[in-house]
Amino acid sequence: MNAPAGSDVILSAQGLVKHFGGGRQLFAGRAPLIRAVDGVSFEVRRGETFAIVGESGCGKSTLARLILRLIEPTAGTVRFDGADITAIGEEDMRRLRREMQMIFQDPFSSLNPRMTVGALIAEPLAVHGLASGRERAERVADILRKVGLPPEHAERYPHEFSGGQRQRIGIARALATGPRLVIGDEPVSALDVSIRAQVINLLEDLKAELGLTLILVAHDLAVIRHTSDRIAVMYLGEIVELAERDALFEAPLHPYTRSLIAAIPVPVPGARGARQLLEGDPPSPAAPPPGCRFHTRCPHAEAVCKSERPTLRTLGPGHTVACHLAERLPPSPPSVVTAPASTAKRRRLELFAGARSDSVSVTS
Amino acid sequence: MEAGVSAPTGDVLAVDELTIRFDGHGVDLVDRASFRLGRGETLCLVGESGCGKSITALAVMGLLASPPARITRGRALFQGEDLLSMPRKPLADLRGNRLAMIFQEPMTSLNPAFRIGDQIAEAVVRHHGVSQQEGRARALDVLRRVRIPAAEKRLDAYPHQLSGGMRQRVMIAMALVNRPDLLIADEPTTALDVTIQAQILALIAELQREAGMAMILVTHDLGVVAEVADRVAVMYAGRFVETGPVDAIFSDPQHPYALGLIGSLPSLGKREGRLATIAGSVPPPQRFPAGCRFATRCPFADERCAREVPPLVETSTPGHQVACFKAPLEIHVGGLAA
Repeated sequence: MNAPAGSDVILSAQGLVKHFGGGRQLFAGRAPLIRAVDGVSFEVRRGETFAIVGESGCGKSTLARLILRLIEPTAGTVRFDGADITAIGEEDMRRLRREMQMIFQDPFSSLNPRMTVGALIAEPLAVHGLASGRERAERVADILRKVGLPPEHAERYPHEFSGGQRQRIGIARALATGPRLVIGDEPVSALDVSIRAQVINLLEDLKAELGLTLILVAHDLAVIRHTSDRIAVMYLGEIVELAERDALFEAPLHPYTRSLIAAIPVPVPGARGARQLLEGDPPSPAAPPPGCRFHTRCPHAEAVCKSERPTLRTLGPGHTVACHLAERLPPSPPSVVTAPASTAKRRRLELFAGARSDSVSVTS
Repeated sequence: MEAGVSAPTGDVLAVDELTIRFDGHGVDLVDRASFRLGRGETLCLVGESGCGKSITALAVMGLLASPPARITRGRALFQGEDLLSMPRKPLADLRGNRLAMIFQEPMTSLNPAFRIGDQIAEAVVRHHGVSQQEGRARALDVLRRVRIPAAEKRLDAYPHQLSGGMRQRVMIAMALVNRPDLLIADEPTTALDVTIQAQILALIAELQREAGMAMILVTHDLGVVAEVADRVAVMYAGRFVETGPVDAIFSDPQHPYALGLIGSLPSLGKREGRLATIAGSVPPPQRFPAGCRFATRCPFADERCAREVPPLVETSTPGHQVACFKAPLEIHVGGLAA
């Protein structure tokens, strides 16, 4: 896993663990030990979009913060371009952060309301000593244009912008230092549907234009399907399945992945027939079940699942899964439904898309 | 799934030209919204933040704070009685009884200081004058019906001791304990994970089938709409721009805003290029255009659209109405793109 610089792998995580709590509290005895991330390994290839999906409490946001070393891991390593970033000093890490930036879910709470948009974008440039004076102002204007905002908006304050525009500002700020790796933690889930599509398109354009590698942390599988090359599915602190996008959606192997896909409401009336609903809630990460952590909700669980913890096994090209029964499970029912569009509807959608690209796409 | 407009006599709710204005705003934030709802029927109000879907729901429930909100026009007949002009006391007797509402965030409706069993029982005791013991028995029954595990033990739990999905179920239990005829649900599953959302939606559907409860579901999620709606009203900037049976809305969308919404959804199937987008964002109320409110973002708008308000006009499908001068697009602007 020691990828030398210049290789195909830009980032690799090995045996990452993050436990919270467990220490003594003043009055309450011992705080429960939360196993937020519990032994996670994966590699991200240069130029790809790698998605980490899962439901609340699965550890995906903790994992994103570990990758950037915004928090320190309990165990394990993260290598960026071959260098172990969990072992380097503060000063080196600060320098490295130029290369790795983050976009947050809530564009409002991540932007200082007292700073102008220009100052917000110039701040990372100043921190990293990247440009000053007139050059810095030009860089700010340039970045604003890139994210589809008029450069004059540099004088305004975050509250003057809509949610979608604020997320563009968040993206501009992340891009200011010219990073090679950008991690988006639910970057579109706080946005309205039509705005969400604008921001997804923007991220894809910028990725192509700037040669970025993207890691997206999300719970919206439709967005993930649209944007990602490879996907890791997490459940209670572990990766349970990792595969190329189409393989994951068309032939999911892990029972959890299957129920996650089956649970997505599809925008096609009458599309969802009889399907298997997961019972109950995910267990607490403070007391994960023994054996396979999914066994308490798994419709296929057997005795072995209750006692032995499954490890990730490769069952197809680039397709790994942590399930004892993966080979023996019934084939997954076709979970992806799309509606055949009527001629009139298709024609109208074409007209709409055509008219949109004719008009100048200024976002205000 | 019954399509089309229900017979007026069977209406649980008939809203006519509901118009809401807020003090300090010169425009109507809900402008002549009309819809009817039959027994067992589900109407979805769809639209993005600020389109007026939530204040429409709150107005029907009599929960809109006035001032600043003012209902300047319209009525909402619930089983023949106008909710909008009803005095406070009889309205309070209806709410939580024949008329119930659930919200996105359960903690805003659950009192953190009381055990959930007592909170649910209170609704029964208040409206039906039964004993505390009987109220508790019904609370237990309804908690089991919404599939709260170990319901007996949960009766004595406080809201903070439950997970988000469990709290949402408790809130639904509280809304349903008196078997309402109409449930208004404002984004009831938006804060939940998809697997929990699927459970909650299935549960509500089952209860509807059993009791014939009508539902207004306020949501921005078109996937949820396709799954549960009988009829859909698409709202934009305070107006209904398209309304009709769910199949018509998804298979034959006509309003450019509805087309934009549907086109901007990433598909779960194979990737099909870039997502369609709607330019810009919803203008603030003081900048709503005088004519069609979507005109500033519509790629097909002309001077007439900017000037005149397009009325809702029925398409070839009964009950399917569109408020757009350019609908259907393939006829009015089809020549342009060729």
